Amino acid sequence: MTVMIKCPLVSVVDDDESVRESLPDLLRELGYSVRAFSSAEDFLASDCVGKTRCLILDIAMPGMTGPDLQQELTVRGQDIPIVYITAQADETVRSSSLEQSAVACLFKPFSDTALFEALNAAFRVNRAI
Amino acid sequence: MNAIQLMRNEVADCGCSAAQDVGVLPPRHRETRNSAAAEGGTVTWAGLEIGEIGAKVGALIRQGRPLPFVLTTLCQLFDATVKGFSSSVLLLDSTGTKVRNGAGSGSPGSYMKQLAAAGAAPGFSLHEVSPILSLTGEPLGIFALYRRECNSEITRCHSALIPQFTHVASAAIERMRSDEALKRSAALLERTQQLSSTCCFSWRAETDEISWSKELCQLFELAPADAPVTLELIGARIHSEDLASFHEMIERARSGVSDFEFEHRLRLPDNSVKYLRVVAHKTRDREGNLEYIGAVQDVTHRRHTEEALAKLRAELARAARVTSLGVLTAAIAHEVNQPLAGIVTNANTCRRMLAVDPPDVEGARETARRTIRDAERASEVVRRLRALFCKKGATSESMDLNEATREVVALSLSELERNKVIVRTELAGGLPRVQGDRVQLQQVILNLLLNALDAMSGVEDRPSQLLIKTERDEKDRVRLSVRDTGVGFEPQGVDRLFDAFYTTKSSGMGIGLSVSRSIIESHKGRLWATPNDGPGATFSFSIPCGRQDVKAGVTGTRRLGAIRTSAVTNAEERHARNL
Repeated sequence: MTVMIKCPLVSVVDDDESVRESLPDLLRELGYSVRAFSSAEDFLASDCVGKTRCLILDIAMPGMTGPDLQQELTVRGQDIPIVYITAQADETVRSSSLEQSAVACLFKPFSDTALFEALNAAFRVNRAI
Repeated sequence: MNAIQLMRNEVADCGCSAAQDVGVLPPRHRETRNSAAAEGGTVTWAGLEIGEIGAKVGALIRQGRPLPFVLTTLCQLFDATVKGFSSSVLLLDSTGTKVRNGAGSGSPGSYMKQLAAAGAAPGFSLHEVSPILSLTGEPLGIFALYRRECNSEITRCHSALIPQFTHVASAAIERMRSDEALKRSAALLERTQQLSSTCCFSWRAETDEISWSKELCQLFELAPADAPVTLELIGARIHSEDLASFHEMIERARSGVSDFEFEHRLRLPDNSVKYLRVVAHKTRDREGNLEYIGAVQDVTHRRHTEEALAKLRAELARAARVTSLGVLTAAIAHEVNQPLAGIVTNANTCRRMLAVDPPDVEGARETARRTIRDAERASEVVRRLRALFCKKGATSESMDLNEATREVVALSLSELERNKVIVRTELAGGLPRVQGDRVQLQQVILNLLLNALDAMSGVEDRPSQLLIKTERDEKDRVRLSVRDTGVGFEPQGVDRLFDAFYTTKSSGMGIGLSVSRSIIESHKGRLWATPNDGPGATFSFSIPCGRQDVKAGVTGTRRLGAIRTSAVTNAEERHARNL
């Protein structure tokens, strides 16, 4: 008899469609359950905010940006570990996002190993909480 | 013709070009002549006939003797004839207010001594003064006759010599003055020619008789020994590529259509090349023969400067392109990295799906499909960029301005979104195609978009809105306008907007709009800016649609040998350009 272990929920917020399509499949392969959102506003409006164990968040988005969402979550007292992803290979973006207590910042395109390590780091943070 | 006129002719006509109408004499002299003639006596000057006196004076002038020498000789001849008297000439200066010593018996020095002694010497006194008048009656000087002894008397016969004297003197003075004026104007002309690198020529179209200045000889590097200059001699110097149009111009001018303007190159014996500009005015000589009087200007230096300028402008255009791309680098990286992220993620997923037992073939197939789609998306971005990156001269093709606009908007979209700009496009349906350089026109559109973006970047109190519009303009032209809600511009600053290196931004070189304008002008179009009724500004350009030659303004090619047949055509051209 197989015991169903509930997989931890990872939410992906990115305005780019190819990321929203490809990343969830890979995350499922890595053993997570996944929800994808095309904007920060959609994510905030969903019922996933409280359940999300790790947020994979794009930095530059029209409307509310990644850092805007992080600030909003802090205001709401939602302490979700965040892994930033960005298509802008800019070191200042990375260091400033890490200063904002993000777990990791990945430059697109990133490898599955880099993603796996970032998620592990995020869940270590989860355990610490 | 009377004797006095004859004498004047001898003086005035000695190869001099200053025309003097010898038929008209001031009334006073005519009267005197009549009284002398009435006496019936033949008056001679120390045995010389009047005509001989005139010839003698004329010869002195031809020899280049100075005026005082000529007048002194005349005085000596007079004194040799009229015994017991001393003659002299006082000259009026050009203002007619000052009198100076012109000539007297003996050398001017001894004459002055004589005059100084005259006051002390008893008997030396002024006998007569007579004005020396020009043909038009203007006073030139004064003839003064002094008695040497108090009992000296002049015969009526000898007094008839006085009007002869004043006439010969007046002719000599006028002749010398006009010679001087002629020399001065020739010197002035030569200096002007040197200063403006211009030479002049005349060409009798029927006989091919050419006369030209020595500067022109130097310009063509022809030895003065090569004279007379012939069309063949000129043709031998003309650059082989311009020879056909040179002959065409000659034929056209021969038919006497009108004035002509012509530009051609010379190939000199040392193989160097000179650029010349020829402007000629049509005229007819006294016999009605066709003759062109013209000027040739060496424009080599100017042409080299223009070429350097065109090259510089092309470099600037490229620099502007690179600057625009610098601004866009982040957007480009973003555009390319997005599909790459999809590709890598899909490929990783695919590998994992195939690694499990049993392999998830269906899932793997789906991720492979997405990999290919994202790769195509990336290559599309690269294709759009390649056109902007490449360095090439202006090329002209028939193109759809709407399509070119869409591509630029697609390329800038992420940059615009990142700046929270709401973009709207209104591209007119059925817009006629335009003839032009696609890359250059896209660069202009991109410059206008980035410009609008900058103008709106500091505006916080209203949404940033951008409207890109294409439409059919009046008279077979198409117009593209970019309307923003940015800071706008001061109406008095509108002229400076398009100046190179004029910028209101902290970053950027301020060459975007200047280069854009030169691109649009090379497409025979117009680029302008208008303040909006509300906030912001609208930048628009309008270019003709359909077939037309694009003047390759930034690559600097230029058509030589174009003949413009009249000033009217030039004015029409200018007018057409301004439309």
